[in-house]
Amino acid sequence: MGLLTILKKLREKERELRLLVLGLDNAGKTTLLKRLNGEDVGGTSPTLGFNIKTLEHRGFRLHLWDVGGQRSLRSYWRNYFESTDALLWVVDSSDRQRLRLCATELRALLREERLAGAALLVFANKQDLPGALPAADIREALELDSIRSHRWRLQGCSAFTGRDLLPGLDWLLDELGARLCPPD
Amino acid sequence: RAAPSLARRGPAAAGPEAAAGSAASAVVLPERLQRREAERQQGVERQRQKKEAQVVKEEQSEFFLGASAREREAVEALLAAGALEEAAARLQALQKLLTDSVRFLAPYEVRQGQEAVARLQGELAARREQLQPKKKFAFRALKKEAAPGSAPRPAEPAPPDLAAPDPDLAEGDPGGPPLCGFSGARDEELELGGAELLQRDVLLSELRGCRVLLRGNPNTLRVRDCSGCTVLCGPVSTSVLVDGCSDCLLAMACQQLRTHRTHGCRVYVQVTSRAVIEACSDVSFAPYSWSYPGIERDFESSGLDRNRNNWNLVDDFDWLATDQPSPNWSLIPEQERVTSWD
Repeated sequence: MGLLTILKKLREKERELRLLVLGLDNAGKTTLLKRLNGEDVGGTSPTLGFNIKTLEHRGFRLHLWDVGGQRSLRSYWRNYFESTDALLWVVDSSDRQRLRLCATELRALLREERLAGAALLVFANKQDLPGALPAADIREALELDSIRSHRWRLQGCSAFTGRDLLPGLDWLLDELGARLCPPD
Repeated sequence: RAAPSLARRGPAAAGPEAAAGSAASAVVLPERLQRREAERQQGVERQRQKKEAQVVKEEQSEFFLGASAREREAVEALLAAGALEEAAARLQALQKLLTDSVRFLAPYEVRQGQEAVARLQGELAARREQLQPKKKFAFRALKKEAAPGSAPRPAEPAPPDLAAPDPDLAEGDPGGPPLCGFSGARDEELELGGAELLQRDVLLSELRGCRVLLRGNPNTLRVRDCSGCTVLCGPVSTSVLVDGCSDCLLAMACQQLRTHRTHGCRVYVQVTSRAVIEACSDVSFAPYSWSYPGIERDFESSGLDRNRNNWNLVDDFDWLATDQPSPNWSLIPEQERVTSWD
């Protein structure tokens, strides 16, 4: 193996990102993954373990880890923290009753040392539903403006229809890309 | 007589012009050389004086030995007092002194100095461990570095497009868009029809002893904290969430069914992907059999496949053994199923 090969491999490694997709159950995490991957979202089942999908976007290889959000699975989230480049927090914007719980769980994650360097992308999902809270309300409910420990962005979207998923991902890649390959 | 003739012959051989030049240089050259020699001598003297001035103080073993002994004592005193950061700084200075002095020290002195520094470093590490036992976790230093790096630049990327929310998102009052469903009712007959339900997200919460008929096609349905109720619902396009309910009779067709913290309920369900239960007990399932005029049209708008029904494949998040059935749910025997819904 020549030096050039090694350098190329290192370079490729740099363009690979590990994204951890978390959120309460029924938030739409698996649907989001399937939609991004161009699969049929109709057959989505509640996630009993986790799903991994690898996407190519803008020259990056994105490894998306979608871990089930049921209460009994949340204690296993920590097993997936290591070397995570970004956390995608998916919120069911129509689930007003559990917004407080949603905020608490997110806060707990942001205190995790192993996620300290990760960027945070919050998807205010299910914006296609008439009863969904607008992104601005989600922002307030999750107290995103008080987050100082992570670079974050809130993106209203609908994983079901696919609306506004890409602007969120693009922000993430801008953010992580700048971190990985700083402009000369 | 011979000499002048020789002298004359030499230049003569070189040519008449050269003769004049060499006659001049014979005078100038020694003069220039003399000047340069004097300069050189002066330079050497200057260098010697300069060197002597330095050597006297710093570049002698005695100076090093004295200075290093003083530094060592200082470090030891600081270590004993527990001023670790200061001790570490002094130790670093000692190491630097040793490194700078290696050039003029005897090998024995260098070895002695290195051993002393190594011993002190060991003591410093031991004191650190003793006084700050928490610093064991290896990731800490790295993470602490990472966090402040990202700290000074939070929150600024989001505002631009969020300050003005997308007009599509906020339908009506953003503070409280009209919700579809019922809340807090007691012993009532509650109904919603097709037009009210179509692709809405419906919430039923804190109902007691109610009978709820939802004839239509909602997008999602949540049934929360209800007890002693009958809830009959048409085809739901996506997911149904049942949470904190007890002693209810439920009927719905949907893509996913999640049941949390629910006890003593019978669920008549068509589910095209999967039904799950979590923190539930005594929940029993049967195939969806409720019907109403126009349900065909609602199935059509829901996008559900009527031929797919996994009503009897229930995943229990609290029961992961595959060789034994979960004790938390069961199938309703055919002869015990509801046949008349009116």
